Amino acid sequence: MYDGSIAGFYCCVFESVYSRQIPCDIFVSHQAPYTLLPQKLITTDSQKAARVYRSIPLKISQQALRLVEVVFLSCMKQKELALLRFLLLAYRCNAKIMQMLAHPLVAPLLAAERHIRNESHLLRGFIRFADYDGILAASITPKNFVLPLIANHFITRFSDEDFLIFDKTHHAALTYQNRKKNFISVKEIEFSPASENENYYQALWKQFYNTVAIEARDNPKCRMTQVPKRYWENMTEMKDLL
Amino acid sequence: MDLMTKLKILSNGAKYDAACTSSGADRPGNRGLGSALAAGCCHAFSADGRCISLLKVLMTNQCIYDCKYCINRSSNDIQRAAFTPEELAELTIQFYRRNYIEGLFLSSGIIKNPDYTMEKMIAILEILRRKYDFYGYVHAKTIPGASPELIYKLGLLADRLSVNIELPSERSLNQLAPHKTKQAILTPMRQIADGLCSSKEERFLYKHAPRFAGAGQATQMIIGATPENDFSILRLASFLYEKYQLRRVFYSAYIPAVEDSLLPALNTKPPLLREHRLYQADWLIRQYDFSADEILSEETPNFNPYLDPKCNWAINNMGRFPIDVNKASREDLLRIPGIGPISAKRIIIARKAGKLGIAELKRIGVVLKRAQYFIITRDNPSGPHLNNETVLRALIDPKVYRTDMEQLSLFPEETDPRLPSPQDFTSVTQAAEEVVLSLSRSL
Ligand code: SF4
Repeated sequence: MYDGSIAGFYCCVFESVYSRQIPCDIFVSHQAPYTLLPQKLITTDSQKAARVYRSIPLKISQQALRLVEVVFLSCMKQKELALLRFLLLAYRCNAKIMQMLAHPLVAPLLAAERHIRNESHLLRGFIRFADYDGILAASITPKNFVLPLIANHFITRFSDEDFLIFDKTHHAALTYQNRKKNFISVKEIEFSPASENENYYQALWKQFYNTVAIEARDNPKCRMTQVPKRYWENMTEMKDLL
Repeated sequence: MDLMTKLKILSNGAKYDAACTSSGADRPGNRGLGSALAAGCCHAFSADGRCISLLKVLMTNQCIYDCKYCINRSSNDIQRAAFTPEELAELTIQFYRRNYIEGLFLSSGIIKNPDYTMEKMIAILEILRRKYDFYGYVHAKTIPGASPELIYKLGLLADRLSVNIELPSERSLNQLAPHKTKQAILTPMRQIADGLCSSKEERFLYKHAPRFAGAGQATQMIIGATPENDFSILRLASFLYEKYQLRRVFYSAYIPAVEDSLLPALNTKPPLLREHRLYQADWLIRQYDFSADEILSEETPNFNPYLDPKCNWAINNMGRFPIDVNKASREDLLRIPGIGPISAKRIIIARKAGKLGIAELKRIGVVLKRAQYFIITRDNPSGPHLNNETVLRALIDPKVYRTDMEQLSLFPEETDPRLPSPQDFTSVTQAAEEVVLSLSRSL
C-alpha cells in the first residue's frame, strides 16, 4: 500500500528492488481491500523516490521515464503493478526495452499510453468553457487523469486569461490565475447560473453547429464514432441531444 | 438584422466548402489570445459526421457572379446578409475563448468587385490580429480576380490561403462558372506558391521576416457536378501537389442546388462513396508514396466502388506479395493493405528486439484482418496460401454496404470492365459476391 502519489509509487519500486520481493498487487492505502494476505505500508520518502526517479533515465532511458509518468496517470487496471514489473525488467534490458514493443510486460503499457494520449487529444477539442465574469470554467469527466497532460495546451492558448478545468471523475481541478498554474483536489465545484451574455453565445454556437450540418450527408453513426457519447454531457451543442 | 439570423445565413452559405482543418501552422502562443498547433484539432462533429474546427462563414453572401452550382449565385432568390468586421471579429473571439473553435475560415461572395471584397476581408483579419491580439488559426479564401498586392496582404494575416478550383476541367469551368477562368485560378495559386517559397527563405535568413500563410495553400474541387472521371481528377490533384506545393486538395461531393440542364438533376444523391475514394487515393499519394498512375489508369479511369484504392492496387499486383514484415523496407510495408504509417513504424522498431510473429504483431496493435493475406511472419515463413476469392472477400470495403445501390450506379459507364454492372443486382451483398467472382477470374 502506498499514498497514491508518483513519489509514493517510486518508493514501492525502491522497496521491491532492495527487498527482492515482488508484491502480488499495489494499492492506494484508502482503496486497499480487506484481505488475509500480508500487507505492507510503504511510506513516502522523498530521497528514495528521487533515487528511483533519477535511475530511470540513467539506467533505462528518458523515453521510458516519460512512459512511466504518463501511464501512472492512466486508468489502466493494476497500473502500479504493471509499471513495477516493467521497471524491474527494464533495469535488466536497459534502453533496449523501448524497442521491445511486443513484450507482454511492455505492450499493455503502450496501449494504456495510447488510450490516455488519445483521450487528452480529444478533450483538447471537446472541452467547453463558459465565461463567469471573465473567468473561463469547464467541467470534464474523463476516464484517465488527463489534466496534467492538457494543462500546457490551454495555458498557451489562454495565456492572458484566467481559467479553471474541473475533473469530476478524479475530483481535481486545474486553475490558472494571474499566469500561475495550480492543481488542486476538490470534491465538488458549484458553478453559478450562466449570465445572459453567456447564454447568448451558447445559443449562437448551437445555431452555427446545427446550420453547418449538410442534410443530404446526414450520418449520425459517423458522428457517434468521432464523438463517443460519454463526452456529450459536457459539450454545449450535444447536451440537448442526450 | 440580428446576429443570430446573420450567422444562420452566412454559415449556411459557407457550409459546402469541405475544408475545415486547422493543421499545418505551428505557432505556440505566449501572449494575446490563442495558439496554433501543427497537428490541428477537431472541436465538434456535425450531424453529418464532418469535423468542425473553424468558424466557417461568409463575410457576405451577396455576389455579383452567377456560378451555376453555387447557392449564393446572383440569380438565386435567397435572403442576403453581411457581417460587419467588428461583429465577426468579436464572434470569433468569443467562440475561441469557449474552445468551440480553433479559428476562423473566412470566405465571401463578391461585392462590387474582387478587390473591394478582398479589402473588406483584410479589414476583418486586421481587427482580429491587431486589436484582439488573436493568434489562433485563420484560413482565408482568396477572391478570384483580386490583385496580387491584396493577396499578399491577406497571406500575411492568414495561416492558410485557398484558391478554389471548383470544377476539375477548363471546359466545365467555362460552362458553369463563366466569370471564372483557368487563368484567374492558376495565377493566384502560382503567386501564393512563390510567396510561400520566398517567405520561407527570408525567414531562414532573418528570423523576423513576415510569415506568409505559414500553413500553406489548399484548394477544393466539386465532384460529380461535371463529367470528369476519377483519373483526371486525381491527376490534376497530384499535378497541384507537385507544381504548386499545395498542402491539401479537398473534394466536395456535389449536392444539387439548382435545376439546370447542365447540372445533375435535383434529386441526384451526392456521390459520397466516390468522394471517399478520392480522399483515400489522395491520402495514398501524400502519405504512402503512391502515384496517380498506380492507382488508376486510362483503361480503368474510375475507382472500384467495392475496394478501397490500396486494396485494389494490391489485388492487381499480387506478384509483389507476400512481403516479409521482418525484412521489408518502410515503403514496402506501407504497400500492405491494413498497414499504415503508425503500424509500419512500430513494426520497424519492434523487429529490432526480435523476429515478429502473428502474436507479436497483434500485441503491438497491427490490425491483421486484411494484412494477414499479404505477409510473411516468423511463424509463417512461406506466407499465406490462399485463393484469390478468399482474399477478395476479406478486402471488400464494408462501407459499400452502408451506402445504397443508387450510389453505385452513379459511377459513369466507363467503370472497370471487369466489374458487373450494379443495376443487375437486388442487393449489395449479392453484387459484392459477384464482384469477388468476376475479379478473381480476371486475376
Ligand atoms: S463567385 Fe463564389 S459565391 Fe459567387 S456565385 Fe461564384 S462560387 Fe458562389
